[in-house]
Amino acid sequence: MERGLYIAASGMLAEQVRQDQIANDLANAATPGYKADRTSQAGFGELLLANSATGATVGPQGTAVQVSAVETDFTPKPAKDTGEPLDFAIVGEGFFAVQTANGTRYTRNGQFTADAQGRLVTAQGNPVLGRGGRALTVGADGRVDPRNLEVVALRNPRKDGDSLVTGTPGGTAAGQVRAGALEASGADAARSMVDMIASMRAFEAGQKVIQTIDETLGKAATQVGAVSGG
Amino acid sequence: MLEGLNSAASGMAAQQQRLDSVANDLANANTTGYKHGRVGFRDLMYEQAGRPAADGVRTGHGAAAVDAGKSFGQGVLQRTDRPLDVAIQGEGFLRIKLQGGRDALTRDGNLQIDGLGRLATNTGALVQPQITIPKGTPEAEVAMGGDGTVTAAGRRVGKLALVTVRSPQALTPIGDNAFQPSAASGAVGPAPRATKLTQGALEASNVDMASAMVAMIESQRAFELVSKAIHTADQMWEIANGVKR
Repeated sequence: MERGLYIAASGMLAEQVRQDQIANDLANAATPGYKADRTSQAGFGELLLANSATGATVGPQGTAVQVSAVETDFTPKPAKDTGEPLDFAIVGEGFFAVQTANGTRYTRNGQFTADAQGRLVTAQGNPVLGRGGRALTVGADGRVDPRNLEVVALRNPRKDGDSLVTGTPGGTAAGQVRAGALEASGADAARSMVDMIASMRAFEAGQKVIQTIDETLGKAATQVGAVSGG
Repeated sequence: MLEGLNSAASGMAAQQQRLDSVANDLANANTTGYKHGRVGFRDLMYEQAGRPAADGVRTGHGAAAVDAGKSFGQGVLQRTDRPLDVAIQGEGFLRIKLQGGRDALTRDGNLQIDGLGRLATNTGALVQPQITIPKGTPEAEVAMGGDGTVTAAGRRVGKLALVTVRSPQALTPIGDNAFQPSAASGAVGPAPRATKLTQGALEASNVDMASAMVAMIESQRAFELVSKAIHTADQMWEIANGVKR
């Protein structure tokens, strides 16, 4: 019976992780090129229960729930026009390559600017790489030809913060670069809201299970062994 | 526990910053030579989630606003037919010396002649290099050519210097329509040849009311949305508190 207590508690903890992920999606509802996450849960450590008197098997019994994975949905989102010459969006698959202090990183957030040397850089000041892996220079008219930006296909992309993504580059991707546009955030407000409500109710259900088990244990401790008052 | 509370708060703070920037843009929708801000967002770091999460399950920590500087898109030229008004077409700035002695750049060409006959902006900052209009010259006889040459009653008295930096987005706005170069903007150099001056016109603010309004609505809704995550986290704390009655 106490096992149920811990199973219910693990379910509540798992919902907390889901809630953290949803809050992160919502906080990034306006971040260009942001990709939304989805949390999946799985049971782990199933035990085979058996009747201790007869030895007959009762069936498998889960011992807890865990968050097995957070998957990122990297599907391209529509680009929206901004009219800024140094805003870029990739229409289709692929990532911009960015030179950072930790090596080459990738991004779909194309809100770029120019640095003191006239190079095209991200808002954090990291140079954006063009075809052939060289930094790009902003022209005298304040523009960069979108065809000169490198669009990399990535295997196993993984979000790394600061709008950057890590992964294994695998050649040129099919996506086309458009200047004067930014890719919309992948966070879907309606879906996040629904997930948030479902997750909160699952959390609440876990609480009810714990309370019920607590009541049952209370009865076992105080009433089963009580000397009848009559 | 419930890191989401902080992630949501960071998202609200980020939206607040963009709202501030949009409000400033809207307030300057009629400011000569004003350039609107570019505020973007980025996500923050991702960390291994606490138990009961499998290895490799990482949750993010919210969002932050990113200042991508000013947008130097050309503003529309407005005809004023005032001889001392001059609009810059293309990339470039006028060099001015502020009253405190500091050098600055501006695209506000609403010029005046000060008490000593020198060309100055409407806040009294002197145009560099200094140009003196001979005493008694009527304003109507001051001519400014496309390349910046200033003549008074047909006589050349100086030339307005057009300058720029490598990264105008990174210039520091210092108020009064003036900018100062920063380490990120690069040093001041001559403007491209294609840049021209137009006398008798002023460059309007490049704030587009429609896009500013859309940005404002988007920020407000995103702000509201994230606040729901805070509310939910709060409810979950309450539920957790209710476990032990």
